[in-house]
Amino acid sequence: MASSQHVLLSPAELAYLHASLSLTPPIRPDGRSPTQFRPLVAETGILPGTNGSARICFADGTEAIVGVKAEVERTAQRPGEDTIFLEEGGVEGGDDADGDGEAREGVDKRKGDAAWVEMTVEIPGLRDDDSGTAFLSAMLSEALLSDGEFAKRLWINRRFHWKLYLDIILISPPLSYPLPLLSLTSHLALLSTRLPRLKSEGDEDPFFDDDWAAAPYLYPRTTPTTTSSTSPTTTTAATRPPITLLVMAVGNNIIFDPSKEELTVADVALAVSVTSTASSTSKPHTDNADLKEPDTEAGRNLRLLSIRTIDPPSRLTPPGVANAANAAYGANNGAATGATQKMLEAQTAETEAVEGVWKAPRGGAKRRVLGALVQKVLERGGVVDEVLDALEAVDLG
Amino acid sequence: MPITILPPKPSRPINNHQHPSEDDVSAASDSDSDAGAAIDQDGDHAMHPPTKRTRLTTTTTISNRTAAAAAAAASIVTPGEQITDDPQWMRGHGTYVAGTAAGSASTITAGSIVSSVAGTVTRTNKLLSVRPLRARYTPEVGDLVVGRIVEVQAKRWRVDVGSTQLAALPLSAINLPGGILRKRTETDELQIRTFFAEGDLLVAEVQQLFGDGGAVLHTRSLKYGKLRNGVFVAVAGMGGGGGVVRSRRQVWTMDAANGGGQIDVVLGVNGYVWISRHVETPEAEAAGKGAAGITNMEESVSTTMYSSQNDRIEVEAMREIARLRGVVTALVENGLRVDEDMVVRGYHEAVEMAMVSPEGSDDIYLGGEKGQQLAAALTGV
Amino acid sequence: MADRRRINGPAGATIPPVFDDASTRGPKSIKSRSRPANATRKMYLKTGVTPSASGSAYLEIETSATPGVSGLKLSCSVHGPRSLPRSAPFSPHIVLSTHVKYAPFATKQRRGYLRDPSERDLGIHLEAALRGAIIADRWPKSGVDIIISIVEGDQDRETSQLQGDEVWDMMNALGGCITVAAAALADAGIDCVDTVAGGVAALVQDAGEDSIPTVVVDPIPSEHEKILAACCIAYLPTRDEVTNLWFRGDLPASDIDLYTNLVEKGIQASKNANRVLVGCLAETIQ
Repeated sequence: MASSQHVLLSPAELAYLHASLSLTPPIRPDGRSPTQFRPLVAETGILPGTNGSARICFADGTEAIVGVKAEVERTAQRPGEDTIFLEEGGVEGGDDADGDGEAREGVDKRKGDAAWVEMTVEIPGLRDDDSGTAFLSAMLSEALLSDGEFAKRLWINRRFHWKLYLDIILISPPLSYPLPLLSLTSHLALLSTRLPRLKSEGDEDPFFDDDWAAAPYLYPRTTPTTTSSTSPTTTTAATRPPITLLVMAVGNNIIFDPSKEELTVADVALAVSVTSTASSTSKPHTDNADLKEPDTEAGRNLRLLSIRTIDPPSRLTPPGVANAANAAYGANNGAATGATQKMLEAQTAETEAVEGVWKAPRGGAKRRVLGALVQKVLERGGVVDEVLDALEAVDLG
Repeated sequence: MPITILPPKPSRPINNHQHPSEDDVSAASDSDSDAGAAIDQDGDHAMHPPTKRTRLTTTTTISNRTAAAAAAAASIVTPGEQITDDPQWMRGHGTYVAGTAAGSASTITAGSIVSSVAGTVTRTNKLLSVRPLRARYTPEVGDLVVGRIVEVQAKRWRVDVGSTQLAALPLSAINLPGGILRKRTETDELQIRTFFAEGDLLVAEVQQLFGDGGAVLHTRSLKYGKLRNGVFVAVAGMGGGGGVVRSRRQVWTMDAANGGGQIDVVLGVNGYVWISRHVETPEAEAAGKGAAGITNMEESVSTTMYSSQNDRIEVEAMREIARLRGVVTALVENGLRVDEDMVVRGYHEAVEMAMVSPEGSDDIYLGGEKGQQLAAALTGV
Repeated sequence: MADRRRINGPAGATIPPVFDDASTRGPKSIKSRSRPANATRKMYLKTGVTPSASGSAYLEIETSATPGVSGLKLSCSVHGPRSLPRSAPFSPHIVLSTHVKYAPFATKQRRGYLRDPSERDLGIHLEAALRGAIIADRWPKSGVDIIISIVEGDQDRETSQLQGDEVWDMMNALGGCITVAAAALADAGIDCVDTVAGGVAALVQDAGEDSIPTVVVDPIPSEHEKILAACCIAYLPTRDEVTNLWFRGDLPASDIDLYTNLVEKGIQASKNANRVLVGCLAETIQ
């Protein structure tokens, strides 16, 4: 099946939707502006048995719950890696052997593995091994892991690591493509995730602090130096978990957070994952001098993590029949004109677009449109910034 | 602001009334007047032991209609609750008659009428039925419904009308092109998909019911047929606070503000709503000319009956259609009933809200807080 | 998911013994890229290899280690168009189903017989890429199955350990899958608007942590020190349209040019593959 589920709409509805979304500015069926998201209700820390959890629900009743659980797991030792037997105790000072020891002290030895994170997506009405579910969870975990930094946070010492289980559950069958909902919920859950404070040192068996209040956040919080007036929270995480946004294009219009009906007439739909990192971290490839300037000013350093084309269901929609070619149109009596109707039917499949008649799109997306979509998402001070601001304002309990 | 994230609300009080503001007496008088049954007014139902919860104890309270109406807050029963043990009542939908085999420990008298769903007690002459608070649509003969074709079979279509069963639309129950009175031929059977195909929306009337709750539809009228030039919105079916309720008029044409022209609204009893631009039907045109005879009229009407091509629709009309759709969704999300009066009032309210809003009259968004504002304005809070 | 019908090996991972020799003891020797930055590897494509299928194709791409030796080997067969089962609902279009499966011996780490999530994921990418290319309304009420087996994955066999390159290998595999599936579809005579072909480009960092990253086409993970980002593109050359875009990595959002450049290079790689594809189809017809 396609990556997004098929919606049954009549050709007349599709033609109407497509026409109204192609206007400048587009008229969305629910009256939103092109960049407007559906209002949602969010809360975190709802599950006391987890390391972090969140819940988001839409006004239409679609609701997602994410629970994050962490377990200590022994790291498989591989030959060829520096083994621990020979140099116990000398770990802390060992870094000085490198020339640039203080620049990245203690950070470099942390290694992460993508297998340390396990993400499951449960959508009622879909089988566990359904391709759509696999696609969704691959997309979400890809965004989480693609910077290579996240798995390092799970490093305890060279023998042990945290294994993080991220379980995403949709409470009811989704009424629209659930990707943004799942992504925003797991973002909040990860933000609220705390791991027990480590008391042991070095490579001995890990031993943790019992005091949950002392447990540090997985995404460390910092008190912002410049207090942003909008968010009432005192602490914010500099580096944030990724968010994945669903964007689609109809004609020249770029539309965010499309509903199910809107996605059905999309020319192209993309899932774009972005994150914001602390602007101070010296990532190896941010060394273009001109990048630094706007970063410090905006206080948020957006990074593009992944893009995937979502196969829009528009290609699977039934085509409309133009009046000129409609056998049931007009007062011709059906009995006599069987042969001509055959011809007409064959013709309609090939004729050019008639206004007001729906025709499933063929081919792919124009390169220019794709570029514009990505650019619109990454725009400074654009939608992503505002979404991140709004998520920041959620009380993390 | 592209996104609004709200903190969770404290759980919403369960409220079945259409007008949460008004007191129970007046709320009951508009919709549930025939549910007039004698009930305990202390509003503390759950505290009573089941044996004391017998609602209809004597006929005198029933016959005293004025007293009953005055006291008629919605009388809510739950499954397994005895409604009456008076043998004069007949069992209707949502109830069953308790068997004689009930043990001595049972609090229900044998032969009494017991509720099988959670809902309000309705009385029609001697028939007692319980209307569930929330349920899927149950078709009744004569209902005007909006449906979507989900399957095409050899001689009939299967139509989704939001009911427990798919409704059937036989080929013999539609108007064939070329005049109402034309005989059905084999060619029509072969070309069944040219009339309605999968996904097509149509407005039809329930003609007949099967024993299993399935409905047979017909479109043998000029006002029924395929839908185009508009948008579809599915709201909750009947019952409960929100949703479409059966009313005198399910279809009307209204004048839109801001140069939107005329807009047709079809409220299917099943909760499916169609909002579209009003198209001057040839029948009206013909009437205007005064020349066409009756046979001519039938033929010209059927030309557009199975069209899936939209007419050219102005931007203003599209905007007003979207605004109306927003009104309907806002009504549903705020638990209000959807009928002509509410939709028209809501629409005018929405137009006025847009006038004073900073974005101007082009602002048609009615989700979230704006929807609540609208609902508040309608209920007069 | 465990396969209960077969006797499985031990659940835990075991690691083969590695003998201590000079090459493993020292720091990993970085092989440099053997081709110019904008050159793709040679590929071999042949259609009509499976007589029983409606259409089929076979693709080989040269490996990195020794030129002339094949790395990635893909075999694709197309079954259909054929009528849908009676239970299936009416479809006005052809119903496409794609299966991508690694052979158990294709990669260093053995793959199971059941498709794992990454293979399903590849299948969905492939489906998106092909759906844009075929003219689906020519074949109502019919279905077509596209089955790709990855006979041999493109992995460096000289290193003893996994290097976390699997995700980048997946992109290379997808690029090959798209090309070979397009060839097989054309062989099966299914109408397409254009020949679609896959191309991969990557942003790599070859000389240490602080060097300026460069964009290369058709990357081989083992040839580069670090891959910062990569994208796989399915492209229709005559229509200048993209049917599938898959990007992953870590790029600063403020530098849109870097991303655009990457996509452009991916399209270039796709055009190269497309030339091979068109040449192969022309050859078959003659």
